[in-house]
Amino acid sequence: MAAAATVYNPVGFDFSNQIRNNFLADRGIPLPKATSTGTTIVGCLFKDGIVLGADTRATEGEIVADKNCEKIHYITESIRCCGAGTAADTEFTTAMISSNMELHALSTGRKPRVVTAMTMLKQYLFRYQGHVGAALVLGGVDATGPHLFTIHPHGSTDKLPYVTMGSGSLAAMAVFEAQWKPSMTREEALDLVNAAISAGIFNDLGSGSNVDACVITATKTDMLRNFVKPNERVTKERTYGFRRGTTAFTKEEIRNLVVHEEIIGVRDDAMDVDGS
Amino acid sequence: MEALSVDIGRLKSGEVNLGTSIMAVQFKDGVIIGADSRTTTGAYIANRVTDKLTYVHDRIYCCRSGSAADTQAVADIVHYYLQMYKQHMGREPSVHTAASLFQNICYQNKDALSAGIIVAGWDKEDGPSVYNIPLGGGIFRQPWAIGGSGSTYVYGYCDATYQEGWGKDETIEFVKNTLSLAMARDGSSGGVIRMCVITEGGVERLFVPGDRLPKFWQGQEVIGKTFKAAADTEMIVEG
Amino acid sequence: MPQTRSFDPYTENGGTILAIAGQDFSVIAGDTRQSEGYSIQTRYAPKVFRLTDRAVLAVNGFAADGNMFVKKVKQRLEWYRHAHAKDMPLRAIARLIQTMLYAKRFFPYYVYNILGGIEEDGTGAVYSFDPVGSYEREACRAAGAAQSLVQPFLDNQIYFKNQVPAPGTTHPAYLSLPDVLSIVIDSFTSATERHIEVGDGLEIYIVFAKTRDLQDFETIRAKNVHLIQELTVAEDGERIFVLRRDLKKD
Repeated sequence: MAAAATVYNPVGFDFSNQIRNNFLADRGIPLPKATSTGTTIVGCLFKDGIVLGADTRATEGEIVADKNCEKIHYITESIRCCGAGTAADTEFTTAMISSNMELHALSTGRKPRVVTAMTMLKQYLFRYQGHVGAALVLGGVDATGPHLFTIHPHGSTDKLPYVTMGSGSLAAMAVFEAQWKPSMTREEALDLVNAAISAGIFNDLGSGSNVDACVITATKTDMLRNFVKPNERVTKERTYGFRRGTTAFTKEEIRNLVVHEEIIGVRDDAMDVDGS
Repeated sequence: MEALSVDIGRLKSGEVNLGTSIMAVQFKDGVIIGADSRTTTGAYIANRVTDKLTYVHDRIYCCRSGSAADTQAVADIVHYYLQMYKQHMGREPSVHTAASLFQNICYQNKDALSAGIIVAGWDKEDGPSVYNIPLGGGIFRQPWAIGGSGSTYVYGYCDATYQEGWGKDETIEFVKNTLSLAMARDGSSGGVIRMCVITEGGVERLFVPGDRLPKFWQGQEVIGKTFKAAADTEMIVEG
Repeated sequence: MPQTRSFDPYTENGGTILAIAGQDFSVIAGDTRQSEGYSIQTRYAPKVFRLTDRAVLAVNGFAADGNMFVKKVKQRLEWYRHAHAKDMPLRAIARLIQTMLYAKRFFPYYVYNILGGIEEDGTGAVYSFDPVGSYEREACRAAGAAQSLVQPFLDNQIYFKNQVPAPGTTHPAYLSLPDVLSIVIDSFTSATERHIEVGDGLEIYIVFAKTRDLQDFETIRAKNVHLIQELTVAEDGERIFVLRRDLKKD
């Protein structure tokens, strides 16, 4: 039986490293930490379409890995997707769905719908049973009108007029629950999304830096990168230049990388070019 | 009883949960299905206006409880199968067919799923019918069925109240009152009540807002001296 | 199912503290954010406290333990004043803190302490402690959430680690007050940029030896009148000031 187990190559996922990884974790060697976008992302329905919003902080534990990362990903021209959770998962998942949506549009000859992207995303995430850690806010406008969804890492979806996700979702949702109203103007919706993301930036330690926004209407998509920058870096008190020769060294070796070649002619007469 | 309640321990950490009170009742001309609207991740309400009454065919709906991801995935697959059935067979699938599809998926994947589903609808063969498909993937035809974590509080009420031969209005009142009682006691249930009346003629959606739920005894200091009868509450008919 | 009960009375409340000793002054600083997990409990919770006119204590770690520890140190110093009619010398406070921490060896105060001030010989001093009382006198020390970000910077800028002096020169043994203050401020603005638990506000305590000429400080003070407050109690002794600044709030 044991011999059969070694030659048997099952179809599907291979979990054999799970045992090794658990063993290593027990021995105090944990798995490498993935960059997580401990994030605030939101989406909001308004009169003419959808406004998406995101902060721009990426963290590795309590350290800020990127102060100005992009969390609003391109799906199609009129569909965009905000990602929270494991950075690699949100980036790969949205890029793959974006690619498949383009192929789908090419093969059907139609502008793709938001539900199509939503269904592709939820089926992909469900297949991985939550191990692909992508929490998404998907929004866009198609032939059937504006649509806004949340997609959780296990593959469940919700369709709502205003949504939030990530570690700052509670702070942002508090703003939406207090101020959202039906059929807002573009300006009102942008202000509200800015307020919701700002609530996340200032009250959630996992979120910070700038506000990104994206306005999607039937005719146009405006990506407002760094829409508001409320956290500019302050200038330092001192300059930290170092005198040439500050760093100690143990040996010095200078190599000449220029190659010299001497070409010696084999014959005195001109090269035979016509082959005769 | 054991099989009907949702085992929270089976949900993976961070998984979205339909804590839920769901219900379906058969009556003379059709079925009434109903559900609360709360979905939670831990203590946070991820959606307070969820629609847990899911279309799978023209006269067949299901009520979902357990993991949101699992029940949505199963309902999507059954929806697909029923569309294919209609195209291949050239006729409407029966409620029993739909329920059997749900049962098959839930039984064969019982290790991986936490889904408690009630299937209800109307068909030419049997008229109105309600099927309960609890956690392990069993299938039980019942005149009424309740499910989700909130249902454990209202078995006694249902047993004491339900009578055969009710019409549409009496059945709606029964569903509305049962769900209100369950939502009042169960912390994982709440929000609004959504209901569907499924008859041969079509599907009618009903909606009771969270501030218009029937009120029962809550202590005099809460509701005042005059008892507010459950029948006083209004209802909005959608679309 | 076997049931286990766990008693976990400690939490980590973030923030960072640091202290630098000059020749005849000492600078002790801390940010004012107090957090738990991803939430901010308050944007102003002081971590640096005046003990006497020549001693300042910075506490970081579990805030409840920190506050209680400072309260008890202050009480012991009060008793000392009643018994001896003078303030306890800095090196004696350091030893007192050691015994107080070690007294709770098996249920420790979950706190990292940095004590700064002026010694009896008039030199600036910094003492750093671990939670159970191991301590040493140093020229500079950072502790808390961003210790791993700030201490290497201090090693490079204060101790001139990995810096070869220009031929024919040596590194200075002590830095000037303006230089020290700049390095402290830059340490905290940088830690705020890259550590999520550091931010909101900065409090810098400055203690001067009694003989020191305060001309360089008065220049700084004149430019930041609204930021600097004097806390000195006794006349013609050591003088003590606090400088308060904003840090980023995201």
